[in-house]
Amino acid sequence: MLPHSPTDRNRASAVEIVSFCATHIWAKGPRPLAPSGLGASWRIGAVLESKHFMEVPAIATEELTRLFGELVAVRDVNLRVAPGQFFGFLGPNGAGKSTTIKMLTGLLAPSSGRMEILGLDFDKNMVEVKRQIGVVPEGMALFGRLTGAEYLNFVGRMYGLDRETAAKRTGELLDFMQLADQPKKLVTDYSHGMQKKLAMAAAVIHGPKILFLDEPFEGVDAIAAGTLKAMLQRMISRGATIFLTSHVLEIVERLCSHVAIIHRGQLVAQGSLEELRAGVESEVASGMVAGELPAAKRLTLEEIFLHTVGGSRPTEQELSWLG
Amino acid sequence: MAGLNSTPESRMQLAAIARVRWQLFVHSLRTTKGALELFSRIVLSLIITAGGLGGAVGLGAGAWFFVSEGKAEWLAVLLWPVFLFWQFFPVMASVFTETLDTSNLLRFPLDYRSYVVVRLVYGALDPSTVLGGLWLSGMAIGIGIANPRFFPWAAFVLLLFGILNVLLTQMVFAWVERWLAQRRTREIFAVLFFLVMISFQLVGPMMNRYGPTSAPLLRKFGAEASPVQRVLPPGIAARAIAQATGGRPGAAFGSLGFLGIYGALILRVLSVRLRAQYRGENLSEVERDVSTRDRKQGVRPGWDLPGLSGPVTAVFEKEFHYLSRSGPVLLTLITPIFMMLIFGFGQGRARPDSGFLQRSPDLGFPAGAAYALLLLTNLIYNNFGADGGGIQFFLASPVRFRTVLLGKNLAHMVVLALELLVVWIGASFFFRPPTPATAIATLAGLLFAAPANLAVGNLLSLYSPKRIELSSFGRQRAPQLTVLISFGVHLVVFGLGAATLFVAHYYRNIWLATGIFMAFAAVTLTGYRQVLQRADRLALARREVLTSELCR
Repeated sequence: MLPHSPTDRNRASAVEIVSFCATHIWAKGPRPLAPSGLGASWRIGAVLESKHFMEVPAIATEELTRLFGELVAVRDVNLRVAPGQFFGFLGPNGAGKSTTIKMLTGLLAPSSGRMEILGLDFDKNMVEVKRQIGVVPEGMALFGRLTGAEYLNFVGRMYGLDRETAAKRTGELLDFMQLADQPKKLVTDYSHGMQKKLAMAAAVIHGPKILFLDEPFEGVDAIAAGTLKAMLQRMISRGATIFLTSHVLEIVERLCSHVAIIHRGQLVAQGSLEELRAGVESEVASGMVAGELPAAKRLTLEEIFLHTVGGSRPTEQELSWLG
Repeated sequence: MAGLNSTPESRMQLAAIARVRWQLFVHSLRTTKGALELFSRIVLSLIITAGGLGGAVGLGAGAWFFVSEGKAEWLAVLLWPVFLFWQFFPVMASVFTETLDTSNLLRFPLDYRSYVVVRLVYGALDPSTVLGGLWLSGMAIGIGIANPRFFPWAAFVLLLFGILNVLLTQMVFAWVERWLAQRRTREIFAVLFFLVMISFQLVGPMMNRYGPTSAPLLRKFGAEASPVQRVLPPGIAARAIAQATGGRPGAAFGSLGFLGIYGALILRVLSVRLRAQYRGENLSEVERDVSTRDRKQGVRPGWDLPGLSGPVTAVFEKEFHYLSRSGPVLLTLITPIFMMLIFGFGQGRARPDSGFLQRSPDLGFPAGAAYALLLLTNLIYNNFGADGGGIQFFLASPVRFRTVLLGKNLAHMVVLALELLVVWIGASFFFRPPTPATAIATLAGLLFAAPANLAVGNLLSLYSPKRIELSSFGRQRAPQLTVLISFGVHLVVFGLGAATLFVAHYYRNIWLATGIFMAFAAVTLTGYRQVLQRADRLALARREVLTSELCR
């Protein structure tokens, strides 16, 4: 059990949170997908060879396209996310991140293209795929007129957990997310950060193999962000795959091993951070793109991102009436 | 700070609000749904206008008669129903009414006066105001025809009476919303209601015992009540007109002033609520919970309903939590009892042949049951409205939509069953217990009517969803398209029901109605099943509409 005083909780989080997750959630729920070679030592059932998982990406899309009338929100996106990856999906506002994540989670139908989750064709195995994934969508998908406990209980039952298991995990998750103090408070009265934590708790209550997170750290305070990050890292170490979008590039850089960048609906970069860094450095060095690289310094993800999407802001803009 | 006035012009702000509403309306026409909404709104407006004009003619004729006969004081007889309708209709038919959610205006530098004007103007745009306004206009015209000299005076008095009604409606709404927002006051309301019910139950036996000898007492009560009604708004308005036509202008001005005082008092009480809202009041129960901050409770497992799967039970439980936390829904659900009271007492026990239900007391239960089903329209026809952003969860979860709809439908049917129980008790008490044959025929009728409503309701929930706020009176209006279609469904269902009862009555065999209803039920149950089976496909095809409408 985690300590209850905030000070103790913060100090102890690195160790205790990890042990909490291992003991309480994933150890008892459906096992996350974890290929051998990515740190996990177990397999899902005897019939599935680990070799199969090495070949089958956790997420794969083929020519994924989404139109809104004449607007092409996402065009021919070919994503490939290996099992166990912590994958950051980046892009400027309106680039198509949320549209892509909505398609990958069944919230939005693609106009064309194919999606495979854990090797299953999404369209043909929608229910099975949904059973294996957890989602924190843009709107958080909360039911405002329930209490936090009622909501998590409800989500657990909807994912097929029995009453006792759902209640037990609900209690543990509320405790873990530091939401147990106000049991009668309705979700609608939660602060934004509390709602985010609750949405995250709901997304993991069934022990998903892939977690899709749309801006999980938006509006979350540093303490809560630390809690969430620790939980996510623990999930990764247990073999789960995490696909997240975020505008906070420092967090993505710290957490994610692989990144894709979408710009104006098209995928413009995809790979490990090192691969992206090397790509930008070689482009700048060869004069393919304008700009200078900072001398004797590794490129940050922000710099890679700005080079990739050409995001320098015109400095001549004037808003003379401001200030 | 160039270009920024120190005190923003209220008129400009009001114009900006009107303009933004107009732009929202124009943009809504870009979609087919928006165009259908407009069409539905026009049709409904025509229906309301027709009702208003019909009433205006009737009331105008009545007013003409009273003034022509020199009995202008009797105008109170016409003004009281208008007054009661104006106050009760918005509560009973909140599906048609819309109150502007002004909370999002608070971020702008809107002064209190402008805020009040916006609230009052947009709050007044509802059918009860249109109908009441038309009826009062009819009365003014009737008075003008009877005595043209007094038309301006009568029109002015009735205008003031109308404004008073608008203010009173908004005051009642604002305060009831406030009281029902918190659990403690909800409980007090429930206790009060229970006491009223018990006291009414005592009235019945007393009337049965003393009824035959109570006529003089009732006359005495009427004589004593008359002065009381004369100091209430409808009585005062009637008196102000009567005094003017009777050549007593001083007294007429006095009565008008009295009416004005009422208006000022109502405005004052309303402004207490408006000022609190203007300051950014939050009606949730946060503060009370903060006091219990350190109290931790273990998480209780969810409900266990034998025979139902986990997901169906979960949806069922969630629906019950939602309904039990919605003051407006709870208030709507108790209105059948009020209707029974009105029919039971309003038509007079003293004369057993005075009313429809007195002549056919067996129909008390079927009529109450039909009314109970009617009241569930708002819930059945917009299943996901209160879920808001939660619709994303349903779309992302591995549970099929037919399961979700089944859970919701079951919850609504349990509510209907509870309502039926209450209606049965009410009908037994106020009229007489329905015979087993009538009760079975009623249940068979519901077995036909409920699946029909559920099937269409499920379809409309997917085709024409609209986010509603169950905790607030003014923000639970259903889409106009849904209202129009539900009208049609009710018309067909009740038409078939009435025709069936007529046939059974003709052959003097109520079991015949049961048989016909069961045959109808076989059809509607099949239809309901078909809709459920197609729910997943429909929901997937409509997921964008569902999320865009409900996640706003």
